Amino acid sequence: MNVLQAHLRLAQGGFVLDAQFEAPANAITALFGPSGGGKTTLLSALAGLKHSQGSITLNERDVGAIAAHQRGFGLVFQDARLFPHLTTGQNLAYARRRAPNSKLELADVAGFFDIATLLDRPVRNLSGGEKSRVALARALICAPEFLLLDEPFAALDGPRRRAFIQVLLAAHRKFQIPMLIVSHSIDDAAALASYLVVLNQGRVVAQGPFAETALSSSFQALLDPRDIGTALSSAALRSAAQADVQSLWLRADHVLIASEPPKKLSARNILEGRITAITWEADLSLLVQLATAAGPVLSRVTQEAAQDLELQVKKTAWAVIKAHAV
Amino acid sequence: MLSPAELEILSTSFAVAWRALIFSLPFAIAVAFLLSRPGTPGRLILDGLAHLPLILPPVLVGFLLLLIFGRRGPLGALLGQWFGVHLAFTTAGAALATAVMSFPLLVRSIRLAFEATDARLFEAAAMLRAGPWDRFVSIALPLAGPGIIAGAVTAFAASMGEFGAVITFAANIPGQTQTLPLAIYTVLQEPGGEDEALRLAVMSFAVAMLGLIAAEFLQRRARKRLFG
Repeated sequence: MNVLQAHLRLAQGGFVLDAQFEAPANAITALFGPSGGGKTTLLSALAGLKHSQGSITLNERDVGAIAAHQRGFGLVFQDARLFPHLTTGQNLAYARRRAPNSKLELADVAGFFDIATLLDRPVRNLSGGEKSRVALARALICAPEFLLLDEPFAALDGPRRRAFIQVLLAAHRKFQIPMLIVSHSIDDAAALASYLVVLNQGRVVAQGPFAETALSSSFQALLDPRDIGTALSSAALRSAAQADVQSLWLRADHVLIASEPPKKLSARNILEGRITAITWEADLSLLVQLATAAGPVLSRVTQEAAQDLELQVKKTAWAVIKAHAV
Repeated sequence: MLSPAELEILSTSFAVAWRALIFSLPFAIAVAFLLSRPGTPGRLILDGLAHLPLILPPVLVGFLLLLIFGRRGPLGALLGQWFGVHLAFTTAGAALATAVMSFPLLVRSIRLAFEATDARLFEAAAMLRAGPWDRFVSIALPLAGPGIIAGAVTAFAASMGEFGAVITFAANIPGQTQTLPLAIYTVLQEPGGEDEALRLAVMSFAVAMLGLIAAEFLQRRARKRLFG
């Protein structure tokens, strides 16, 4: 069942947004696309902060003509936008007071996000990671029907970014609120989302279940060539990160191909499969697609390697992946 | 130190300035907020109207007030009929004239305070279910608070010196409408009044300086409390 259906049209300067998409209930949907593709604009239009034509249906209610504060969307901004004249706790209380039907208690939410000790602090004294958690807590405590997130970890570095992804996934499980999260990092999108909407130049060029949609040529064409790959369930791979995430993004550049069952390798993942396609890339390398029990896997090989291994469609081959590559 | 007459002049000045501020502050806040929002319709016209008292000769402002609020003026007659209130030649009238004259100053400083607040915070508040009025009260006002206080204190100090509009609309009645500048004007009309004029001038100067220092101090304190 789709909780959100939208067809948005708006023109802004020379940019035209004409996006039709949906998002399933009880899922995290990633809104992915190159910078300048209109992701933030689309989010603002959904939320009602920007005027748009078209229709927005949220939980079977047409909210397209309703003011932003009554639409039922929550929004976590890239910059946390905490109120500087209030303490952390007052920021949360601000949201809680305006949602009288919310069943969430401030203390519980603060405990969940590990910010209970920060409640008396002015928000200017919070670190980047703390600000992100407070902003997320503040949005959730307002009990939105649907939560929009605009690259909420843009300001966070590697380890804190991964930690925040864990917090987001845990929050999604606990609060059961469908989310649409803007990201231009394929790893983050794969880690979080089970559904994918791809936006390019103001249009939705692909959408559907994550792994399937990520395999489509219109999506792969938008990726940096180094990022080309596939999404695999985290259960199917041994990952050094051992993160409890939705799926892992496996880059074609990180996958070796063997034409015989490999022995005595340090790599922790060996997936047997059948070659389903071999395609030329612009740099004259070859992309080999392998259908494995864990799902499709892409590997990039040189022309020479493909000849040596006599790689052909329908032949059996083994994909070799280091645990540290995912 | 101060003679009873001087005390009366000072207290009249305060009474007028106080009332002027109470008259004008709510309107000034509303107008300044509308002017600070890019989407306000008719912003240019509103801006012009708000600044008119700054450009017009004060005597003309007083004369216009007489035409409108005098006993036979359209609003003055109504006020008299319905409430028995007469503004011309009263302390309240002096306050009204002063309020009109200090309005542009008040609007300008409050508008700057609103413009300095981060409009993206209003969006954040809207996403937490705060409606337009709620956002104004809970976000815009407190964030602009230091600027509003400073503007109000400065306008209060400036109000003590309003002359042309007051003398035209409210006349120069000791104990009722004779404020500091009107008193200075009066003593200068008499031969040998320079000494008294000087004393009154020093009082004027002291009040103005105190006002400016208080405005700066209050603004700093409020900023510190708000933003550290």
